[in-house]
Amino acid sequence: MLFILIFIISLVLQFFLPWWIIAPIAIGMSYWKATSGRNAFTSAFGAIFLLWILMGLLESIPNENLLANRVGQLLMLPQSSFNWIIVLLITGIIGGLAAGFSALSGYYLRLAFIKPSTI
Amino acid sequence: MKFFKAIFSLLFALALVITLNIKLGDIPPLGKFLDPFHGFWKNAEEKKVDKQKDITLSGLKGNVEIRFDDQMIPHIFADNNYDLYYAQGYMTAKDRLWQMDFQTRFASGRLSEVVGPKAIELDRYQRRMGMMFGAENMVREMKKDKQIQETMDAYTAGVNAYIASLNPEDYPIEFKLLNYKPENWNPVNSALLLKLMSATLAGGSNEFYMSNILNKFGPEVVNDLFPDYPFRESPIIPQGTKWNFKPVAVQQQPAVTVNPKISYNIKTRQIKEGIGSNNWALAGSKTSTGSPMLANDPHLDLTLPAIWYQIQLISNDMNVCGVSIPGAPGVIIGFNQQVAWGVTNVGADVLDWYQIKFKDDSKKEYWYNNKWNPVKIRIENIAVSGSKNIIDTVYYTHHGPVVYLDNQKPEKFGKASNIPAGHALRWIAHDASNDTRTFYMLNRAKNYDDYRQALKYYTAPAQNFVFASMEGDIGITANGYFPLKWKNHGKFLMDGSDPVNDWNGRIPAEQNPTVKNPPRNFVSSANQFSTDPSYPYYINWEFSGYERSKRINSRLTVMTNATVDSLRSLQNDNYSILAENILPLLSSSVNTQKLNASQQQSFDIVSKWNKFFDADQIGASIFEIWQKELINQIWSDDFTVENVPMRYPSRDRTVEILLNEPNSKWFDNINTPSKETREDVILASFKFAVDSLERKFGPMDKDWQWGNVKHSYVPHLAKIAGFNSAFINNGGSKTSVNAMNETNGPSWRMIVALGKNVKAYGVYPGGESGNPGSFYYDDMISTWGNGKLNELLYLKSKNENSNRIISTWKMEKE
Repeated sequence: MLFILIFIISLVLQFFLPWWIIAPIAIGMSYWKATSGRNAFTSAFGAIFLLWILMGLLESIPNENLLANRVGQLLMLPQSSFNWIIVLLITGIIGGLAAGFSALSGYYLRLAFIKPSTI
Repeated sequence: MKFFKAIFSLLFALALVITLNIKLGDIPPLGKFLDPFHGFWKNAEEKKVDKQKDITLSGLKGNVEIRFDDQMIPHIFADNNYDLYYAQGYMTAKDRLWQMDFQTRFASGRLSEVVGPKAIELDRYQRRMGMMFGAENMVREMKKDKQIQETMDAYTAGVNAYIASLNPEDYPIEFKLLNYKPENWNPVNSALLLKLMSATLAGGSNEFYMSNILNKFGPEVVNDLFPDYPFRESPIIPQGTKWNFKPVAVQQQPAVTVNPKISYNIKTRQIKEGIGSNNWALAGSKTSTGSPMLANDPHLDLTLPAIWYQIQLISNDMNVCGVSIPGAPGVIIGFNQQVAWGVTNVGADVLDWYQIKFKDDSKKEYWYNNKWNPVKIRIENIAVSGSKNIIDTVYYTHHGPVVYLDNQKPEKFGKASNIPAGHALRWIAHDASNDTRTFYMLNRAKNYDDYRQALKYYTAPAQNFVFASMEGDIGITANGYFPLKWKNHGKFLMDGSDPVNDWNGRIPAEQNPTVKNPPRNFVSSANQFSTDPSYPYYINWEFSGYERSKRINSRLTVMTNATVDSLRSLQNDNYSILAENILPLLSSSVNTQKLNASQQQSFDIVSKWNKFFDADQIGASIFEIWQKELINQIWSDDFTVENVPMRYPSRDRTVEILLNEPNSKWFDNINTPSKETREDVILASFKFAVDSLERKFGPMDKDWQWGNVKHSYVPHLAKIAGFNSAFINNGGSKTSVNAMNETNGPSWRMIVALGKNVKAYGVYPGGESGNPGSFYYDDMISTWGNGKLNELLYLKSKNENSNRIISTWKMEKE
């Protein structure tokens, strides 16, 4: 549930807002819906990891991964026509970590303000 | 505890997000950069191109149609010139916005603003050289010319219309990497790009070195080693051409020359060769079509995005095609239905240094013409990303800016090495000029007279404008503002207090060296001397080596029934006249008894080498390192003195000494007790060449081939890894017509066959797009590397269709 919420809301809002909107989304959604720290982190990480990779692929496939391969070299990878896979993974991980840690803090915030019994 | 956990985790998340949103040193803001909604992924262009696009723009006066050919080169049709230049600005920005931004920042000394403190010294240098000062003077002059002002305004409006259409996710990738935004364009930016050409092509100077040499060795050695006309030459205006004008009087050379008083600890360097070019035109009597043909290939430090931007511009009063400078309106090298033209650099001495005596430390006055004169102060405010601004004060005399005051010169900054501290700079690039008018008129020229008329307006950087017309005329003019100088005026540093040393007027524009339809039926240039010594004026004491011009002229002399392909083969000619001149001597001087086995093997190869710098030649690799080291061994001992920067004598003079002065004292290494002979240095430098190849590439195998040793590629303008081109395995050398070295060489090759239906061919090492995520970023490089050309699509009218058109845009007035 949390996974789907974060995925869909991020997908919609990111068309209009800067990338860091994923942080408030993850905090808010996990404040509302997370069941555990682990659940908060993995759902948010997974949602943004998947979202960013899918969106990256959407841009990269019609480009035959030309640019992603070049960016791989920029990120110190050796010249290769498979760099794009690594760049895609890095993209997913960076977005995922930002969302995951935000979600975790959302869950802890709730623990701080709401008594566990009401969960 | 719960609160602590909550607050700690929130702060951690916040810190992570902030870190990913800012640039840390050279690392881009990773979150922002990788975000697939706005980051670099958005710069990945589809391979498929949209067939049709309609845009409405409020700045247009009428309608514009743009057709893109199979290399995405725009062919722009407009009803009037305003819309035409507007669309040129718009399209150039679409393809090259970051390049335009970065180059104007580079020129005006505003790089620190985006890359931080590492560019401070460079910014300071550009400002102290007066780049912006010159550009502002140019804009002022252009404003006096209504047509040119309208052209500049239209182009500027077009660039800005494109910028206004962008959202942050549309910014070129380099903006995202460096984390900054494009700024609005301004006509002064276009002027800066033209000034940048002057800095590249007419910004060198030797006088600091020459004065040091004069001080150390005295006038006799200077006259001997640095003569005013070379041993071998094949001047641009053919020998024997009559000067049918009455020259104006030139001031006589004063008796005294000042000696420089300050030097710095900088190593003497061989002069870097690379800024040069070839062009020629053949009369119809020498071509297969019976009409003239013209060829041009300007050599520059190659970059991606490509230096040039190919374009065709069609309005009610012109139809021109060729290459433009990204950031400036019009076509710089190109052709229309009636004429074609091209340029190579004239190495005129249009930059001089004057020693300045200030009255006191306040530097408010300087001594000139026996009185104290006021100094103008220009305050430069350099913004620095991630640090506080730097305020720099530059002192301007009537000569120009004092680039570095005594003790102000940076020690480890290569660009400043030839600048004498305490001297004012007199430079043509500071003068008000309206060079854009020359191109405006050339773009519309119909015949030889129009060409001559257009050239009058041109100031700098001086160029050899080659010309050919459908009517059958060919011509060439060494053209620009040449100050009237006495012989060797500005060969050394000068006293800035004596008016006799000032520039005093110019060579009348119509008396610039020129020739029309010479008896040899061709004209050509390769940066050599403009004329033989019979020309009544002084332009400079030294020009580029004669090797390329010699080869071009020998081949053109015997050429008959020339086709486009014969000219193409000449552009790609890798033969080395230098090798022809010295290799027989070098080979015969090596005592093969003294060689080990691998040196022996190398010697056999190089002595049998055909003297072509082709990619697969091993002899070329050996010869190139050999001759460079030989020059170094002859001169480095004498011309390396701590704290006294000097330069070596020219290659021409070195060759003359090698061939004709076998007992010259310069062969001896003054740092050894023994006395070295010519044969000793030839042998030592040969061994050095073989050893260095072995050290770098191991025992001789195909790694020793010239293409691999030279290792050419085209670097990205900001040297961003991954955005450079791949390795290009091609031939060429600095002493071949195909003047290619590692990253410097023919930045555009063009051949135009005039006639009823003009046909043109061209290619540059890059692509039309400046986006590394585009398929059109470097798509022409392999064609260029293989020495081939693309036929340039030239649409004669809107009604003409071509199956090479892959996309059409319609721009309408909003």
